[in-house]
Amino acid sequence: METGVSKHEMGFFSSVLDRLCLTPLGALLLVLLALLPLIPPFNQQYLLRWLTIVALSAASAIAFDLTAGFINIVNFGYAAILGLGAYTSAILAVRTGLSPWIGIFVGALASGLLGFLTGLLTLRLRGIFAAVMAWFIGLALMGLAIKMVWLTRGPLGLRVPRMFDTSSNEPYYYMMIVMLLVVYVICRWVTRSKMGLAFKAIGQNMEAARTSGVNPTYYRIVNFTLSCTIAGWLGGFYAHYMGILTPDLMHTSKTVEVLAVVYIGGRGSLWGGAFLAFPFLIAMELVRSGFSNLPGLHLVIYGVILILVMIYLPGGIASLYYRFLYKPWGKFWEFMVGYKEND
Amino acid sequence: MSLLETIAVTKQFGGLTAVNRVSMHVDEGEIVGLIGPNGAGKTTFLNAIAGLNPPTSGTVRAFGEDTTGLTPEKMCHRGLSRTFQIPRPFPKMTALENVMAAAIFGNRRKPPRDPVAHSREMLEFVEFPESEKTVSENLNTVQLKRLDLARALASSPRLLFLDELAAGLTEGELKDIITIIRKIQENGVTILMVEHIMQLIMNVCDRLVVIQFGSKIAEGPTREVAQDPKVTEAYLGKSQ
Ligand SMILES: Nc1ncnc2c1ncn2[C@@H]1O[C@H](COP(=O)(O)OP(=O)(O)O)[C@@H](O)[C@H]1O
Ligand SMILES: [Mg+2]
Repeated sequence: METGVSKHEMGFFSSVLDRLCLTPLGALLLVLLALLPLIPPFNQQYLLRWLTIVALSAASAIAFDLTAGFINIVNFGYAAILGLGAYTSAILAVRTGLSPWIGIFVGALASGLLGFLTGLLTLRLRGIFAAVMAWFIGLALMGLAIKMVWLTRGPLGLRVPRMFDTSSNEPYYYMMIVMLLVVYVICRWVTRSKMGLAFKAIGQNMEAARTSGVNPTYYRIVNFTLSCTIAGWLGGFYAHYMGILTPDLMHTSKTVEVLAVVYIGGRGSLWGGAFLAFPFLIAMELVRSGFSNLPGLHLVIYGVILILVMIYLPGGIASLYYRFLYKPWGKFWEFMVGYKEND
Repeated sequence: MSLLETIAVTKQFGGLTAVNRVSMHVDEGEIVGLIGPNGAGKTTFLNAIAGLNPPTSGTVRAFGEDTTGLTPEKMCHRGLSRTFQIPRPFPKMTALENVMAAAIFGNRRKPPRDPVAHSREMLEFVEFPESEKTVSENLNTVQLKRLDLARALASSPRLLFLDELAAGLTEGELKDIITIIRKIQENGVTILMVEHIMQLIMNVCDRLVVIQFGSKIAEGPTREVAQDPKVTEAYLGKSQ
């Protein structure tokens, strides 16, 4: 809740940033991301391609955290729902020639609708049962994508018209960074409003929440719908960026990757997973390509780090930030981290 | 008029009848004590009324309408609040946020203009001893009970259930709680309290309802009931 300093105590610059839910430090990192394609070695196309995919993972981590970190339900069907957005937009483009710029929003709607239904179906279930239900929905969806070859071409892969008429990665990269910012701002706005308090309440203690007057049905459905809508939107981008779509995009292991990033980054922080995605996923990609004779090694590393973090650092990287960096170290630093006396 | 009336409320868990045809009422402005040995079914009875665990049979009338089986959130919006025997706050939220949740979402009848200020008032009212910024998983049981009371009051209830609020308090804290309960009553809130501590019961309760093995065995003005041989027997565990 916004119990901190009032708006007029801030400068114009900080108050604009505050609207965007960014600290000056966060804004600086964004600027750095924007400049990255100019800095060697990231000016090479294949690295830029990695970076674009990593930024996409960062954005999907934020929307995943909206559910896992707030209402405390792990949506194991997340990757499949992202894939639904991807296939919807792709198939519309292939079959009807709909512009990808519109298609990605239709994909988002389709995923949002399924998120709504998932929320509805898992309503009476708690924690792990809701997660398993969402997982089944994801499996069913992937099964459909594999079997409906006439529509999706199944594992053969569906060729998808790309978004920009160029082979260079820059336009995609910048578009993805903008989408990352949009996703972050939307999730932040929602979670710092009253709705965020309701999410946290039903996530932390269902009985106390209900006794306090929070309607769990409504907030759970809103949460699922929003998270899945965003996933579908990101999926649409993925389709029109990669230019080819196969059902393994929807595999549970993709959800687990997002989950690992979110948990290691810091559940409930929104930014933790997004921040961590960049160094972590790039390192994992290096492991994967460096040890190609040991397939699956990166998944083992995910598992080990995830377990270590769950035991020794349950708040993830975000908690390290609050413990070590969010400090009143002089005026400049306070400005950079948006330090508030009474927080 | 009774603010709360139960008619033959029964709650079964499988073969176990935890609450057996309990009929009772609470009039507006009263403080009624619900007493009985451990495991008698007191908490289950409160849960059945408040919607956490709806009754198997029987009728609950609250605030002049049939509220049998309504959800806890609907009961809260109609003006029923309750504290928990084992306080269950939102562990990762600050004390203030805990109270704000109820101030914002529970307070349909009198939404406070400034929920933050309203929540702070509640914390002050229960004399919450820690900073409002304390994350509630770091509080001890006694502090949690105060926080839970502040949370319950934040939705401006007309009827308040207290479930062993005073258990484990020191003599000094007990005096504070008695004062606080009296103040709640003066603010026009009707109270039904489950309690074991005689000092508290004799001090604040207008009437007592006694249950044993899920059934009501006595009811009446505090002093009379406290001297009823049936009641003392129930507490001493003598069998008939
Ligand atoms: N959810 C439940 N499932 C099964 N039995 C329960 C449940 N809740 C309470 N009981 C049983 O109901 C009886 C009454 O419990 P309770 O209402 O907690 O008693 P009191 O609050 O008077 O000490 C006990 O025998 C208890 O074991
Ligand atoms: Mg009890």
